Amino acid sequence: MSFSPPPPPPPASSSSGQRKTNHVTANDEPFPSPSSLSSATVSHTQSNFRISYRKLPILKAAPIEAMSTRLGIPIPEMIFGDNLASITHLPTGWSISFTAEPALDQVDKTGSNMLRVAYAKEWSSSREKTSAGISEVVKPYDWSYTTAYKGDETIAILPTSTNIPQEQIPTLQPSTSGAQIPLPLLQRRDPILFAQEVVLYESELDDNGISILSVKFRVMPKRMLLLSRLFMRLDNVLVRVRDTRVYVDFETDQVIREYTAREEDFEKVRQGLVMQGMPPAEVTVALRDANQVVGLLKVVEQTVEEVSLKNYFSGRNSDGR
Amino acid sequence: MSDLDKAIETLRNCRPIPEAQVREICHKARELLIEDGNVVTVSAPVTICGDIHGQFHDLMELFRVGGQVPDTNYLFMGDFVDRGFYSLESFLLLLCLKVRYPDRMTLIRGNHESRQITTVYGFYDECLRKYGSANVWRYCCDIFDYLALGAIVLGASYTLPPPASPDIELEVRNANNSIMSNFQRHPNSINKIKEQDQSRQDEMMATNGAGEGSGSSPGKTGPPGSGASGYSSGSVGNPAGAVLCVHGGLSPLIDTVDKIRLLDRKQEVPHEGAMCDLLWSDPDEIDGWGLSPRGAGFLFGADIVKVFNHRNDLSLIARAHQLVMEGFKEMFDASIVTVWSAPNYCYRCGNVAAILELFEDNSGLGILSRSNGDANRSDGGPRGVLMENELAAPHLGPARRYRVFQAAPQDSRGMPAKKPVADYFL
Repeated sequence: MSFSPPPPPPPASSSSGQRKTNHVTANDEPFPSPSSLSSATVSHTQSNFRISYRKLPILKAAPIEAMSTRLGIPIPEMIFGDNLASITHLPTGWSISFTAEPALDQVDKTGSNMLRVAYAKEWSSSREKTSAGISEVVKPYDWSYTTAYKGDETIAILPTSTNIPQEQIPTLQPSTSGAQIPLPLLQRRDPILFAQEVVLYESELDDNGISILSVKFRVMPKRMLLLSRLFMRLDNVLVRVRDTRVYVDFETDQVIREYTAREEDFEKVRQGLVMQGMPPAEVTVALRDANQVVGLLKVVEQTVEEVSLKNYFSGRNSDGR
Repeated sequence: MSDLDKAIETLRNCRPIPEAQVREICHKARELLIEDGNVVTVSAPVTICGDIHGQFHDLMELFRVGGQVPDTNYLFMGDFVDRGFYSLESFLLLLCLKVRYPDRMTLIRGNHESRQITTVYGFYDECLRKYGSANVWRYCCDIFDYLALGAIVLGASYTLPPPASPDIELEVRNANNSIMSNFQRHPNSINKIKEQDQSRQDEMMATNGAGEGSGSSPGKTGPPGSGASGYSSGSVGNPAGAVLCVHGGLSPLIDTVDKIRLLDRKQEVPHEGAMCDLLWSDPDEIDGWGLSPRGAGFLFGADIVKVFNHRNDLSLIARAHQLVMEGFKEMFDASIVTVWSAPNYCYRCGNVAAILELFEDNSGLGILSRSNGDANRSDGGPRGVLMENELAAPHLGPARRYRVFQAAPQDSRGMPAKKPVADYFL
C-alpha cells in the first residue's frame, strides 16, 4: 500500500523526517506575531526608571521546538515565551528583565536531582512483572521545572559623558550594608500607578501538581516592588517556593534584590494547614495557593544584593529623563 | 417539553439543574453506558473533540462552530471537567445530550474523569460550592466509571465533501467557515485510492452483484466490532483502516484493540496497568517505549504507533490529553493526531482550539467501511504479518477537516470582565 505523507508533501518520507511543521499558517493568525513584540510591550516611566511588561499567548509548536532544541529539555506545556517583565534605569541603561527561556535554562538538565511522583514506586513495582523491557527513562531532567532564576541583569551603553571604567559598571553585588527590602514602606497603601502579573511558564506536571513561574510588580510614586515566584507543588511529595524580589527606591535610585528559596514536605504543609483549623475541603484549595502555604515552608537559602545607580550619572538629577 | 429537554435548556444557559434531577439523569445514563463495550463503534460522519475542562462558554462556541446536536454527531475524548469554572454544567450538558440523543453523542473517559483527580483539580470543589454537598460529585464519578475507554470510527471518507477537490487530504477552516489552508494528498496515494476503488468495484460486481448489504448505503454494513463482522480476530478489518479514538494513547500491555475490549473498565482509573496507560500516555519523538521522567507513565514513539495501526487496520489514532497551541497536532506521518478543544486554556493561555471532522464515505463503493472479513483478501497481502516495507506505507488516512476556533467572546459569558483589584503583595 502506498504511503500518504502529511502535507505539504515532501518528495519522499524518511524515518528521520518526523518533525512536522504545523498546518495552521499565519494567514488568519488570531494573535500578535513575534514580529509585533515591541508593539505589544506596555511601559510606564516613573522617575528614572522605565517598567515594561508584555503579555502574549503561549508559544506555538515551531518556536517551542526551537526553544526545546536550544535548551536541551522538553518545554512546559504552557510556555509564555514572548512574555516579559523588566525594569530599566534610564540614565545608565542598567536593567533587569524576566523572561521564560533563561529561567528554564537554569532548570537542572541532568536528572541528578530528579523527583519522582508519589505513586512512582507502586507504579514501577507493578510494572516489573508486566513490562520489564521498558526501563529507560526518556530524557531525564528536572521535570518539576524548579529554577533559581533571579532575572537577567544587563547594562546598555552608558551615556558617553559618564566615561565609567569597566570594573565600575553598576551591577548587583552581595549586600554589605545590611540593606533589607523595607516592608513597612511597602505595607502602606500608597496609590498603585502601574501593576501587572505576567506568567512565564506553567506545567501541570502531568496532573501531579503544578509548577508555575510568574512575575508581578506594583509601582507606587516613590518605590516599586517586583516579585518573581516559582511555585512548585508535587502532590503528596514536596512543595517549593523560589522568590526573587526586586525593590526600587525612586528617590535614591537604589535597587535591592532578595532571593529566598523555601521548601517543605507536602505532608507537613498539609498538616500545617489542618493545624490552622482549616476544614479538609479548604486544605486542598489552599494547597493550590502559594500565598497560603509559603509561610509553612522552611527557608533553605536567602541572598540579598544591591546596587546604587545614583552615582553613575553625576550632574544629572532625578528629573533628567 | 420533556423534563430532559428542560434540563438541557437550563444547562445550555449555564445554570445547574437540581440535585434530584442530576441523580435521575445519571441513572438513565448509566443504563445506557453499561451496555456499551469498552470500545464503542461509531460511524462517520462524526466530529471528534478533545479536552473541554469545564470551559462551558467555549463548549457553546464549539457547538456553534461545529454544529448543534443532533444535527452533528459528536465524539468527545474525555477531560470534560476540572480547571475551568463550569465543569458541572459542561459535563451534565454533554451527559444529557448523550441520554437524549444516544446515537449522536459519544463520550469516552479522560484521566480527569476520576475521583482522585477531580478532588485535586476543581470539580469536587465546584460541586460542593454549587450544591452544598458532595452528592452530585458522587453521582458524576459513578458515571465516569461507566464511560467507554475508546471508540472506533468506521466508514470515514477519503475525500472531503464537494466542492472540495477529491485530492485534498486535509483542510483547516476557521470559526467563520473560511478555509485557512488545505493540503493535497501525495499523488501516489491518489493513484492507490483509484486502484483500490476499481478493484473493490470489480470485486463487488463479481461477488455481490448489486453490492454488499443494502447497496444504497454500504457504509452501514458490517462494521468491525459489531458482532459477527469478523473483527474480533483483530487481524482483519476494512482495507483503509478505521480511526481509534482514545484520551491518552497506547499501552505496552495492549497490542490489539480487542485487548482493550477485555479490560474491566467499571472502576476508578487505576494508577497503573493498561486502563491507566490508555488515559495517560503520550506520543513522543522516541524509538519504542519510554518511561516518563516523572517516574510513572509511558511515552511511545512513531514505530509503536505504526505497528499498532498496521496490526489493527487503523489508519489514524485520534487522542487528546495534551495542550497544543494550534488546536491540533499530527505526528508520525499523520498516523496519530492530538486534538485539543479548550481555547484560551485556563482562561490565560491564548491558544486556539480545534475539532476534527470525518466525513461519511458516499462513494457507494464502501472501500473504507466494508469489513466483512474478506475485504482485504483480494490484495493477497499477508495480514497480521508486519512487513518492513509496510511500516513505511501506512494505511491511507481519511480526509480530515479541522475547524479551529478561539475562546467565546467575553460578552457571551454573562459576566463582566474581572477588574483587577489593587494587590499589595509583598
